[in-house]
Amino acid sequence: MSDLKVDVTNLQKSYGENHVLKGIDFKVKNNEVVVLIGPSGSGKSTLLRCLNRLEEPTSGSIVIDGQDISSKGTNIDKARENIGMVFQHFNLFNNLTVGENIMLAPVELGKLDKDEAKYVSENLLETVGLADKFDAMPNSLSGGQKQRVAIARALAMKPDIMLFDEPTSALDPEMVGDVLEVMKELAKDGMTMVVVTHEMGFAKEVADRVVFMADGHVLEEGSPKEIFDNPQNERTQSFLEKVINV
Amino acid sequence: MKKIIAYITIITSLVSVLLISRPQKVLAKDTYNIATDVTFPPFVYANDKNEYVGIDIDLMNEIAKEEGFKVNIKPIGFNAALQSVTSGQVDGMIAGMTITDERKQKFDFSSPYYSSGIVMAVSPKSNIDSLKDLRGKKVAVKTGTSGADYANSIKDKYGFKVVTFDDSDNMYNDVENHNSDACFEDDAVMNYGIKTGLDLKVVTKPVNNANYGFAVKKGENQELLHKFNKGLAKLKANGKYQQIIDKYTGAKATSRKLAAQKNNHTILGIIKENKGAILTGVIETIKLTVVSIIFATIFGIVIGLLGVIPNKISQAISVFVIYVFRGLPLLVLALFIYNGIPSLTGTKIPAFVAGVITLALNEGAYIAAFVKGGIEAVDKGQMEAARSLGLPFSKSMIKIILPQGMKIMIPSFINQFIITLKDTSILSIIGILELTQTGKIIIARNLEGFRMWAIVAVIYLALITILTLLSKWIERRIKA
Repeated sequence: MSDLKVDVTNLQKSYGENHVLKGIDFKVKNNEVVVLIGPSGSGKSTLLRCLNRLEEPTSGSIVIDGQDISSKGTNIDKARENIGMVFQHFNLFNNLTVGENIMLAPVELGKLDKDEAKYVSENLLETVGLADKFDAMPNSLSGGQKQRVAIARALAMKPDIMLFDEPTSALDPEMVGDVLEVMKELAKDGMTMVVVTHEMGFAKEVADRVVFMADGHVLEEGSPKEIFDNPQNERTQSFLEKVINV
Repeated sequence: MKKIIAYITIITSLVSVLLISRPQKVLAKDTYNIATDVTFPPFVYANDKNEYVGIDIDLMNEIAKEEGFKVNIKPIGFNAALQSVTSGQVDGMIAGMTITDERKQKFDFSSPYYSSGIVMAVSPKSNIDSLKDLRGKKVAVKTGTSGADYANSIKDKYGFKVVTFDDSDNMYNDVENHNSDACFEDDAVMNYGIKTGLDLKVVTKPVNNANYGFAVKKGENQELLHKFNKGLAKLKANGKYQQIIDKYTGAKATSRKLAAQKNNHTILGIIKENKGAILTGVIETIKLTVVSIIFATIFGIVIGLLGVIPNKISQAISVFVIYVFRGLPLLVLALFIYNGIPSLTGTKIPAFVAGVITLALNEGAYIAAFVKGGIEAVDKGQMEAARSLGLPFSKSMIKIILPQGMKIMIPSFINQFIITLKDTSILSIIGILELTQTGKIIIARNLEGFRMWAIVAVIYLALITILTLLSKWIERRIKA
């Protein structure tokens, strides 16, 4: 198998008249951390959501681990088992406890039996610093705690790629650090990650590659050093000026 | 696609279960279903033991005995009887039915068994004493009767308005209460009513004298018609016919009836006298409610779920079903299913089954609407998160979305169950002997409209209280 984890070719996505992605080519290597940046409405989140087909691509191909995700013949549920996703608004299952949130998918999909799942989820909760919250209901948690549970929930399926859709945008500033810390640990352990974020600090520190998107196009990509210290594209320059000056 | 097929299978089997759950009695060739009115004394009424009696009933039974066949008498109301004969739900009807040319288009009539004319009755204190006094007044009639036809034929000439009622008792009450100024009714019926306590007086001579006949659907059940005519001739010859007429119109019959009535004027007296009938009515209402709630809930959830499956065809089916069955008035739906479907398919539907189907479809459509709404009210992110973990749509629905949607839906369910209970009363129109119909029949006999409806109202409130408490208890158990 090649070193390529994700291979997106000429991806187009429209909502009626609204053309959101206008021919995206996008690659992610194994163990690579890619951060997607760009102004809102640039199509970052749509691209991310196409990767596990939460959005149906209009045209183009998305190949993950050699499997064409965008093809109708693909068992998307099976493919998603290996693609973890973390949402801006956490989306913890409100009717289940924290522990049940994490155990649900592995047990329902026959990956683990109940005891194994319990053991795994307790370990994961410990990793994200919430060992005491196993029996808590999601509504009793703070935003930062919810997001860490959501990460643990995604990890319980043992995915080999994780997608993060603005994971810290809905958090109070003092909560952001805890979540980023968990993500850094993941990156350090070699998880392949695609992260949509406005946290430029995180991008600089953790990303192997930064991709700048605007108006449905990838305008520029490169190492954090190249993008942040020496952006080539005018749009990248003006975007970075705005976000870094804030 | 598989899912849709599965859901369609569920719906189909649901409908077929409904259709076959009460297999019709296989009638021997010598048993006939005969429809009649609920209230048309002295021709048709329930006596104080709640048995149906009257000139029509006794004649029918005697003729059956004479000719060696059996009858199954169904007091479903005059209009429902007309429709049931034409749709083939019953074999014939005897309900003080006047033989007219118009009716001969759709029915074959027996030889006349009674002759009657139309009279006008007013409140005793009224100074109306001829048709000329009716200008600008309101006249009460019973729908489908010759009295109604007569009133409509002369209303322009005399300048009065016609108010239509479904049974005689409500028509009389309207005049007694001075809402209407007069009513038109067959003279035998009117005179009998006044003798037995109606507070009205007859002010005109019988006009449009016409004959009553037993009717079958045109061109069908000719053998039954033939037997009726033969039997009637025999009864007239052997004197039994006159005995029956005297039994119901003679002075003895009417005065005894009057005396009996005076004993039972109190609410307690009414309850005591009719407790068997009321209890049967209550049980029928409960049965109808419970069975309908079960089927409406299943039907509603299935249709509601079809509406949220990400598939255009299933969503269209859901929208259409909700649109149709929520849009149709319950009364129209009940009459259509009971009378319309047998005309189309040639299969009879028992009234109870027709009632359950009606409520299941109508209440089910409301349930489907709020099931859909409840599911849609659950944050979309919940479904996305579940799907992103690799859980299939159905599992995500069952484990995550439905449990959360249910909490939103519970108050609507309780509300709908209460509405279902109340709506069973509308099914009295197709002759189901539930609480409301029982009330009508009792009133037809004792003419105690106000007291009896008060009793019925209190019983409904009691039932609804029980249902509400039960629902709240279940709600607490679910939430706990």
